[in-house]
Amino acid sequence: MRRISVVSAALALVLAGTAACSSSSGHSSSGGSGTAAAFDPKTCQGGTLEVLNQDSISKLDPARIYTSGGGNIPSLLFRTLTTRNREPGQDGTKPAPDLATDLGTPSDNAQTWTYHLKDGIFFEDGTPITSADIKYGIERSFAPELPGGAPYLRDWLVNAANYQGPYKDPDGIAAIETPDPKTIIFHLRKPEGDFPLLATATQFAPVPKAKDTGVDYDKHPISSGPYMVASYEKNKTLDLVRNPHWSAATDPLRYACPDKIDVTSGLDPAVINQRIATGTGQDANAVTTDTTIGPDQLAQLNSNPALAKRVAHGEFPATTYIAFDTKVKPFDDIRVREAISYAINRTTAVNAAGGTAVAGASTTFLPPQKALGYQPYDYFPAGATGNPAKAKELLAQAGYPNGLTVTLAHQSDDANNFGPKVATAVQDALKAAGITVNLNPIDDNRYTDVTGKPSTEPGMSLQYWGADWPSGAPFLIPIFDGREIISSGGNFNLAQLNDPSVNAEIDAINAITDPAQAQARWGALDAKLGQQALTVPLFYEKDVSLFGKNVKNAVPDGWRGQYDLARVSVK
Amino acid sequence: MTVTLEAATGPQPGPDPSSPPRPRGATWRRLRQDKAAATGMVIITLMVLVAVLAPLLTALEGQDTTTQHPELVDSASGGTPLGSLGGVSAAHWLGVEPQTGRDLFARLVYGARISLGVALGATALQVLIGVSVGIAAGLGGRFVDSALSRLTDLTLAFPSVLFAIGLMAIVPGSVPRPLVLAVVIALLGWGATARLARGQTLSLRTRDYVAAAKLSGAPPLRVARREILPGLVTPIITYAALLVPTNMISEAGLSFLGVGVRPPTPSWGQMLSAGTTWFRPDVMYVLVPGGALFLTLLAFTLLADGVRRTLDPRNTEVAA
Repeated sequence: MRRISVVSAALALVLAGTAACSSSSGHSSSGGSGTAAAFDPKTCQGGTLEVLNQDSISKLDPARIYTSGGGNIPSLLFRTLTTRNREPGQDGTKPAPDLATDLGTPSDNAQTWTYHLKDGIFFEDGTPITSADIKYGIERSFAPELPGGAPYLRDWLVNAANYQGPYKDPDGIAAIETPDPKTIIFHLRKPEGDFPLLATATQFAPVPKAKDTGVDYDKHPISSGPYMVASYEKNKTLDLVRNPHWSAATDPLRYACPDKIDVTSGLDPAVINQRIATGTGQDANAVTTDTTIGPDQLAQLNSNPALAKRVAHGEFPATTYIAFDTKVKPFDDIRVREAISYAINRTTAVNAAGGTAVAGASTTFLPPQKALGYQPYDYFPAGATGNPAKAKELLAQAGYPNGLTVTLAHQSDDANNFGPKVATAVQDALKAAGITVNLNPIDDNRYTDVTGKPSTEPGMSLQYWGADWPSGAPFLIPIFDGREIISSGGNFNLAQLNDPSVNAEIDAINAITDPAQAQARWGALDAKLGQQALTVPLFYEKDVSLFGKNVKNAVPDGWRGQYDLARVSVK
Repeated sequence: MTVTLEAATGPQPGPDPSSPPRPRGATWRRLRQDKAAATGMVIITLMVLVAVLAPLLTALEGQDTTTQHPELVDSASGGTPLGSLGGVSAAHWLGVEPQTGRDLFARLVYGARISLGVALGATALQVLIGVSVGIAAGLGGRFVDSALSRLTDLTLAFPSVLFAIGLMAIVPGSVPRPLVLAVVIALLGWGATARLARGQTLSLRTRDYVAAAKLSGAPPLRVARREILPGLVTPIITYAALLVPTNMISEAGLSFLGVGVRPPTPSWGQMLSAGTTWFRPDVMYVLVPGGALFLTLLAFTLLADGVRRTLDPRNTEVAA
């Protein structure tokens, strides 16, 4: 989901910028700059990859980082039970076995999941990885000393909601069984067909209990992946070298081409794009995992075919939208919400986000990825630039014939694309329908604290939601499940919708283990929710980023929309 | 906010106490004859007129500051204005803003209101605070003097930009932003004016006519107003003319850093800030606010220089 600010993003989430989409014209194959077909992972080894990022690496502990599909940089260090299959396009939205031999065996109506570990898997110090290490890694993520990970396991595992982590509670979580060093069994309190997708998160990475230093583990987490930490200066640099005990034979998904990977963070986005585009010296080997292309380079693409070949077009499922609190006036009246839906000008909103190259107008809450169950609908057609006449009509019916004044909360900064630029586009669009919008900028770091607490939630706010994994579940449940309304803070069901029929349908879909069947049901649920105008979807994200002159096989994977550092080569 | 001390030492001695003050008309004439000062005045007058007449000018153009024109920008290339020179046309005299397509001329003339208004307001406040504190320190006893002088030193020693960012962040959103900006800039930037005023006061208080006024029983406030203040006019006016551009830069700097006026209100600093990512695809977006800012700063500097030359009694070159 989203919580971009919480995420320690360089490492973890795909950032706001990271998305991109199927409909991004014919470019999607250009990511590999024509070398994809000829690329041979067996001969790609060598060189140093430079990673230039905006967001500081503030966390490296696998318990604390919040990732979609195990992250890009974290996935170089941590192997997990399953991982994303790293395929381009829609094929890349599926999980693949990583430490486990398969995607897991569900039983008891998908309430019990059993995994077996591969042979020949080792930590960076040569110790074999056992199922107990994976169990311990998950238990650590429950410790209040190590906050930040995704909340799902706490909700899903039997009797784990109040578990306080292995430091306070060394008995561990009874719902995770390790009958032998190669087997791990999870007991869930409800059916969860998406369990193999969640098992890609870094919380499923093994942690050797003997090497656990608690909060200090962050300084040098023990690697199970192809690289290990050589040096790490928090928020500044992270240098990785090869892990001698990783074996490619057990890990066909990570090609691990460069000998070294140096990450520099805290850079300005314009600087990153400029450095990669120019490609002087070491910058020829440079990539970024959190910076989308800027207007400077976009304007050059037509006249500079060499640069155009160095642009990766991926897709990360994410929607930027207007959220309403349907418990407060005037948004309790569906006609007001519909009026705003009709009045919205998606062209100016897309432009505010950086134009059609990096965002696409969206009338559905689910972004247009098949894996999420996307079904097109447009119940309140606003056209490209809004339908203020229809909006005025609805406002008059709702008792506001002379217009209406509302306040729109937004982030004070544009970095995540729901800041002042998008807010002023909304303001200008609604003006035509007689709706006066006052802007309420809220500091980025406090934003989710303010909007996520029902007592302080603004009636109308700009929001962003990205997929924790490519499925409808992590997209619709936190936003529309009535049982997910959290009054103490951290709430994302901003509409405060608690509809028993919606809740029941969510439970029914969760029990489905066939993704195709589940997709159709999630899509239908989204379309049903759309009729209530609980949100005004504005745009979905497209991920367009540059890579250096020497970089090969920079093909965005379908899960994260970014090229995968475990697969690029600089040889 | 960053007030240079060289500026403070610019105007050297006070007026000769023995000579009668020069008639106002003469000063004015000399100022007009000074070519640099006259140029400065003309530009400043024009800028002020533009700011005052902003609604009229935009009405004449037929645009406003907030309406977005998506049809005038190329969305596929990130929102670069269509057409040459950033979309200059009969309808949009200076072109349009990238991404939004908002009219640049309208934003520039309304931005002048913020930039000039904040700078002039802050300068007036700085002069008011600085002169009051300076005279009080100069005329007061040793205790008052050292207390006020230390306070002055303190404000001069503040990392003012950091402090301004902090102050701007804690002021509630309901207070008008330009007012907050002017007050914050003034509060952090009166130190040099106070020092200047104190120095002048110290040198004037030993003059015979001041001593005579004191001996004849004039209350301190009267001494300050009637005997000291006229002697401060020259250096203070000169210095104030230099403060205006400094304050404009402060406003632009704070808006550039994102703690100035809030969108969609335009200001030159905020336009420049947004322009940094556009300087190659749309150079007009940087040149327009940058040029306006440059011209205004130049005008005030020319004027300040002219004022100093004109009012300086040692300067006989113009008078001749």
